[in-house]
Amino acid sequence: MSERHFTTRRGFIAALGFGAVSLYGAWAAYGAAPLPFGGHSGHKDAARETDADGHGGHGAAEGMAPEEFRFEHDFFVRKYAQKDGSVNPHADADAHGHEGDAHGGHGHADAGHGPGAATASGEPADLYLMAQKFAYSPDVLRLKAGQAYRFRMMADDITHGASIQLGSASRIIRLRPNVVTEQTITFTKPGEYLVYCTVYCGQAHDAMHGRIVVG
Amino acid sequence: MDTLSTSFAPAGATSRLTARVASLPSADKALLALLFGAALLALVLGLVGGAVTALARAGALTFLPDDAYRILTLHGVSVFFYWLYLIQAALLLVLAAAENGRGLALRPLAWTGAALMLAGFGVSEWISATGTPLLYDGSPELAADDPRSVGVFALGYLLLSAGLVASAVCGIATVLQPRLRGEAGEFTSIGFALFAWAGFLVVSAIAATNAFLPGLLWALGAGPFPADHGTEWHILFHNLHYLPLMAAVLVWYVLSEHLTGVTSIHGPRLSKIVFAAYLVFVPPTSLYHMFLEPNLSESVRVVGSLLSLFVSVPTLAAFAIIVSSLEASARARGATGFFGWMQGLPWRNPAMANMGWAAVNMMIGITFAFVLIQEKLAPMLSDTFFVPGYFHFFAVGVLTQTFLAALMVILPALGGGSLWRPDLLRRMPAVVTIGLLIFGAAGITAGFMGVPRRVFDVGYGGMAPAAWPLLMALVGVGATIFAIAISVTVYGVVRTLLSLRPSGGQAPVVDWRTGSRGVCAVPAWTGPLSVAALIAAMYVFTIVAFQLIQSLPIIAIGGGHGH
Repeated sequence: MSERHFTTRRGFIAALGFGAVSLYGAWAAYGAAPLPFGGHSGHKDAARETDADGHGGHGAAEGMAPEEFRFEHDFFVRKYAQKDGSVNPHADADAHGHEGDAHGGHGHADAGHGPGAATASGEPADLYLMAQKFAYSPDVLRLKAGQAYRFRMMADDITHGASIQLGSASRIIRLRPNVVTEQTITFTKPGEYLVYCTVYCGQAHDAMHGRIVVG
Repeated sequence: MDTLSTSFAPAGATSRLTARVASLPSADKALLALLFGAALLALVLGLVGGAVTALARAGALTFLPDDAYRILTLHGVSVFFYWLYLIQAALLLVLAAAENGRGLALRPLAWTGAALMLAGFGVSEWISATGTPLLYDGSPELAADDPRSVGVFALGYLLLSAGLVASAVCGIATVLQPRLRGEAGEFTSIGFALFAWAGFLVVSAIAATNAFLPGLLWALGAGPFPADHGTEWHILFHNLHYLPLMAAVLVWYVLSEHLTGVTSIHGPRLSKIVFAAYLVFVPPTSLYHMFLEPNLSESVRVVGSLLSLFVSVPTLAAFAIIVSSLEASARARGATGFFGWMQGLPWRNPAMANMGWAAVNMMIGITFAFVLIQEKLAPMLSDTFFVPGYFHFFAVGVLTQTFLAALMVILPALGGGSLWRPDLLRRMPAVVTIGLLIFGAAGITAGFMGVPRRVFDVGYGGMAPAAWPLLMALVGVGATIFAIAISVTVYGVVRTLLSLRPSGGQAPVVDWRTGSRGVCAVPAWTGPLSVAALIAAMYVFTIVAFQLIQSLPIIAIGGGHGH
């Protein structure tokens, strides 16, 4: 009986089965490894993220009920609506040249986190985006490059996407009905970004899109 | 290379598999022919739906939105449920019957299972064509105002599930019967794999029932609205696409022995461990499908991300067993050259060509699967065309080609006819792969750019990048190429199924069993090198994806991407 060459040994063959596990090295190199050793990113991840908002660990906004979201969303849209139909959360500060939050003290969740106050404090400004068949509210947002925004988003009826096309790739966001999702986003370059639904939601799914205009 | 003292089996010689299939009772043959025919019909319907969908996305065809999504629903339902499950049920039964040697045990149960699955097939196709388009996952929230569509759609899958359970129980009984009679001892590796596969089919059917029974009950007014359908679907979906992969690997084992006479040089025990490993590694790794869910906990993210690295363990191990066994056997017979030993394989046999190209497609598919399952990359790739871009390498390139290869071997033995035009059929897998490469390259690029996977018009009123429609046009070209090649193969297989006259000529096989002393003493580098190349490709494309996501003009945190 000839001695086995090591490439035909059972242990070697079984080890080959685990070959893909070695991809952990690439993940670790980009701070995307799941375990605390080998490049675990903690609350930062490979997608150029910061831990500025302290809401690490969950995409869903803790504590915000759907009804509260709807109330804040409606207030946000009414307050910052422009004549062209867009919503510009900086319009108030731009127009009056002050940083006071006009609705501070009204009991809204974003009290103290309006764009003016946010710019002064370094805190992200709160925005509200509602997805529903087959549109976004607001469907055009006017924002500023370099400013951090806390996007609070929710699907109002069924599951939708609120993905942002960023040129060479997109940031895909999935929204479940009545689950408030929160992301803190800073656009680093001015431009006009397409927001579009990436979860099939019905007959006019193809037409469901909006814009974020970053100046 | 190279001289390989290949023994070609004598013309007309039958293998153990084909001899046993040929000797099955006529009642079993009738049942198997029915199931194979129904599976092929599902494949044809799915193929037509898929080709039309791809051409519509390419802008070559125009439909009203509801019609377009009905066609997409028909495509998914036909291929992912009825083609893949019907062919699995049929292959399980025929291989179990061949393993038994006397035919099927519990034959009435097998017929009942077939009847249930065919009833489900009819129900699902009808409601997909006429109801509210629900896509293949049948999400009830899409038709909250149309309980009839939700209920009938769920009924179709529930009938399929019931039929699968009956078929799987029949398969288990058939494999066990010789042991219960004292006619056989320990399981062969194939027998054990059939047993595990049947068990996994039952698990899959239970997962389908768990996902779709609430929808039926709600439609009947007997239960609440199935708000958790998304979670239940994830569990089913994971089984749905790994179970056929296990079946494909098992078919590779069977075909390798049929085509070359080679069985595993590592003994049946290792093979059994590998097949059992599917049950260990596949179910817990399902969490990575949920990385985009906004309310997924951090602990689930960490566990899911870690487990996802292990999802390919059984498949890669089985691949290494098969390749090393073939290579060592070839080298023991005098084959030389790094890859020269492969020239001795019976490539003129279309089943061999299908299996060989399926292995190539598997390597490509696994490469990109491991880019997609990275938790931090999910916010760039999930819900985009990256998903269909890579999984068609599996669904078409691996699974469909492997199962068609099995039919090319089994159907002539089952019906007594001959394989239709083997010289033409053996060229199709290369054409399929060319089409898949075009489809996949364009689709994966589109996915990287954010093209959504379920949108027919990707123009968004001129706001979308100009490359998006161009990439979708290339997807249409690739899909057309592989759809034509698969259609030719399906036509050949159907002609074979209907053929009753033996032509005398058999597709060539080789016999590498004899003269293989010292088979394990020779090195077998192809398996390790293939895995090394696979890992290198995974690294390259993972790094490309990380670089791309880091280059975006955005800094973000939160939102179902794990941090």
